[in-house]
Amino acid sequence: MRAISWIAISVFRESVRDRVPYNLVIFAVLLIASSFLIGQLTAGQDVKIIKDLGLAATALFGLFIAIFIGIGLVSKEVERRSIYPLLAKPISRPQLVAGKYAGLVLTLAVNVAVMTVAVYAVLAYMTWSVPPEIRGVWDAPGLDPAMLKAVFLIFVELMLITAIALFFSTFSTPLLSAAFTLALYIVGHFNKELRNLDQVVQSKTVARITEALYHVVPDLSAFDVKTQVVHGLPVSWGYLALTSAYGALYIAAILLVSIVIFSRRDFK
Amino acid sequence: MRRLIVLVVAVVTFAAAIGLQITRDRRYASDVRETERLLYIRTARNAQRAALAFQAVAADIYWIRAIQHYGGDRLSPERQHRYELLAPLLDLTTALDPYFTIAYRFGSIFLSEPYPGGPGDPEAAIALLKKGIGVQPTKWQFYHDLAFVYYWHKRDPVTASEWFRKASEQPRAPNWLGPVAANMLIEGGDRAKARFLWGQILTSEEPWLQKSAIRTLQQLDALDAIDQLQEIVQKVPPAAGTPYSWEGLVQRRVLRGIPVDPAGTPFEVNAQTGEVTIANASPLYPLPRYARPSAVSGQGVRER
Amino acid sequence: MPLAIRIEELTKDYAVGFWRKRPYRALDRLSLSIETGEVFGFLGPNGAGKTTTLKLLMQLIFPTSGRAEILGSPVGNVAMRRRIGYLPENPTFYDYLTAEELLEYFARLFGIGAADRKKRVSGILDRVGIAGERRLQLRKFSKGMIQRVGIAQALINDPEVIFLDEPMSGLDPLGRRDVRTLILELRDQGRTVFFSSHILADAEALCSRVAVVAGGQLAASGKLTDILAFEIRGWEVVLADMSAELLARVSDLAKRTTEIGHGRYAFELSIEQSPERLAAELTSRGAKLLSINPIRDTLEDFFVRRVQQMGAGARSGENTRARD
Repeated sequence: MRAISWIAISVFRESVRDRVPYNLVIFAVLLIASSFLIGQLTAGQDVKIIKDLGLAATALFGLFIAIFIGIGLVSKEVERRSIYPLLAKPISRPQLVAGKYAGLVLTLAVNVAVMTVAVYAVLAYMTWSVPPEIRGVWDAPGLDPAMLKAVFLIFVELMLITAIALFFSTFSTPLLSAAFTLALYIVGHFNKELRNLDQVVQSKTVARITEALYHVVPDLSAFDVKTQVVHGLPVSWGYLALTSAYGALYIAAILLVSIVIFSRRDFK
Repeated sequence: MRRLIVLVVAVVTFAAAIGLQITRDRRYASDVRETERLLYIRTARNAQRAALAFQAVAADIYWIRAIQHYGGDRLSPERQHRYELLAPLLDLTTALDPYFTIAYRFGSIFLSEPYPGGPGDPEAAIALLKKGIGVQPTKWQFYHDLAFVYYWHKRDPVTASEWFRKASEQPRAPNWLGPVAANMLIEGGDRAKARFLWGQILTSEEPWLQKSAIRTLQQLDALDAIDQLQEIVQKVPPAAGTPYSWEGLVQRRVLRGIPVDPAGTPFEVNAQTGEVTIANASPLYPLPRYARPSAVSGQGVRER
Repeated sequence: MPLAIRIEELTKDYAVGFWRKRPYRALDRLSLSIETGEVFGFLGPNGAGKTTTLKLLMQLIFPTSGRAEILGSPVGNVAMRRRIGYLPENPTFYDYLTAEELLEYFARLFGIGAADRKKRVSGILDRVGIAGERRLQLRKFSKGMIQRVGIAQALINDPEVIFLDEPMSGLDPLGRRDVRTLILELRDQGRTVFFSSHILADAEALCSRVAVVAGGQLAASGKLTDILAFEIRGWEVVLADMSAELLARVSDLAKRTTEIGHGRYAFELSIEQSPERLAAELTSRGAKLLSINPIRDTLEDFFVRRVQQMGAGARSGENTRARD
């Protein structure tokens, strides 16, 4: 257990000192801050666009960080062979995978937290500088705690994508792993289309295949409650619980497969 | 020293490039603006597909484009543009974010606005608002805006009144919507229904609503009275050379006394044309606009 | 005393070719035993299977057949790895860490407690000669410095058995000497050192036993002295104070004559010629005998000869292998 936490902290340290994720976060924060200016273009919809842009930036930059560091977790290490001395230490390969994943989740959590704080800061300024009559017209309060629900689901989605990135990098090169993960992200968001294909397609077998695909491919669009939260529509705790549980199970399954692949792999 | 010269040359070259750009922009300005009028994604479905998880932000972007498009055309010196992208842009915006209330409302106002203020397309405005109602059936503002389009741009007070009434039934609707609905009916010539609606408003607990109801019902009575009086005046014109007057009618035994409105103020009759109107001094002035009634009902003329 | 390392019929095949039909045998039934406290040299040309063997021992790769044990436990045993150290060939570590942080990190993975850790890390950094650069990020290290860090991390846990893959690579002559001294120290401390190299001079200086691999197969193994001992090629006789006529006669007899100083000559005689007889004869004629030395095969000679033998054998065997 301690070994896992040590590897996790090492991964976190790497992400902090590695310039790219660091710059990504800074860029995200700048973007969120600038949403305040962009709000001026929207004829009174400032709050909406600040929330929209803030949540979207968190999701998008979180995605980049997840893919970038997720690939680096294993693929890069194998390519650079810095994994050799690590494997010779008294840790099992499953522990190594678990530790790496834990480290990345920690990194993601910190990054998402930073971006969320930035969004709330801009919203606080907005709320403070606007008279109460206008505030009354808003769909949802400026400093809406319900936004945290959207952030939470974004975070679970990011953890899932990281697990996928880790999975690919146990057997593939960094570039291919990144490409596959990104492709799966896009398909995951198109999931609903897959489900509806059976109404469009003639052949029954194809319809069944697409339906099977719908269940196998991670249903990423389910994690997207940004629109609801921005418009003050309710997101039930039941929905949150079920979706998170789905995410957790999917993550567990992928990690197990990753561990199996990683444990049997030759490091030439 | 040589490095400095090379740097200076680089800067000068760059400045020259910028100068060329400015010249080109000035000469071929219209070409530039034409390409901005393209919609790269035509249908809402494709926009939703392309936006993946970022539909709300995409909606915001289309919203900004819609405003820029409207503003640009509105302010453009040539006045040739006809806001042709406004409806599609608003359609995309609302498809990406169906709860984007302001897009529906803004859209309805400016889509129905006739040229040069807008594309003059009330049908598009109505379609947009009905789409909004489909998504949020309890938003009274949409019904209100629909009523406005029917009333103002399509000159159909009856349908407008119906939409106002529906608006008043939605939760959290302000309570002036009911009265407005009723008054529109008057304009539409349906005083019976207006009376009925106002009769309902009379039962309201709000004191000012009650007062409004009483007053309006009196105004309706006044309107009916004016119609009756107008008939009488036209049927029995005064002798040639003499002006229209109540006294003349009383003298000729057409009327028993000078007619008075429900508030007690005498009606006025125009000496030259014989048009019967309410007195400016009357508390019921001004009367709501009206068309010829389809049926005269209510009380008869009161005479002093 | 139990064997430090025991390798039995260890074999590794790789599937090569697009359709993965032809297996490439990187290691063919290697069997070796290494005793505790030995310095064992694992020699061979590039691509002979040295690194493959080490990776199999570290379980970086899995054997096709055969087994290996370290300190009595199979190579997959995680607990056993607490007692060993490993330096990979041309090691790379984490650029963003400093030398100190890397060693601390690895020390933690060994479960070494905080107080002990600091001492050990300091100590080992001093010992490998990079104490001054401890706070420098590894991305700024030269190849030689990285090699030293690699050695440090192999020793941080006070291992009983140390595996070194090309420990001298990247080091200048001073560095090489340091590592040689270090290995001898380790031996004196009773540890077992298993190192692979293609630099024979190092092996000659350090090892008690060696194994030579070529083409994935074991060419020879045994004590260094044994391997080289029975391979005396000839004799070297050094004489001085010889008359010109004597010099000419001896030069005819000798395989090679070298003047090594003013009036001093070294004669290389073949193994059949008896050097004592010649020396006695020459001294009776007034020459001064300075030394008689056997000319042994250097390890290099042995090595080259054996590898060539293996090559010839392998070439004839290759046809049969391909048909399998």
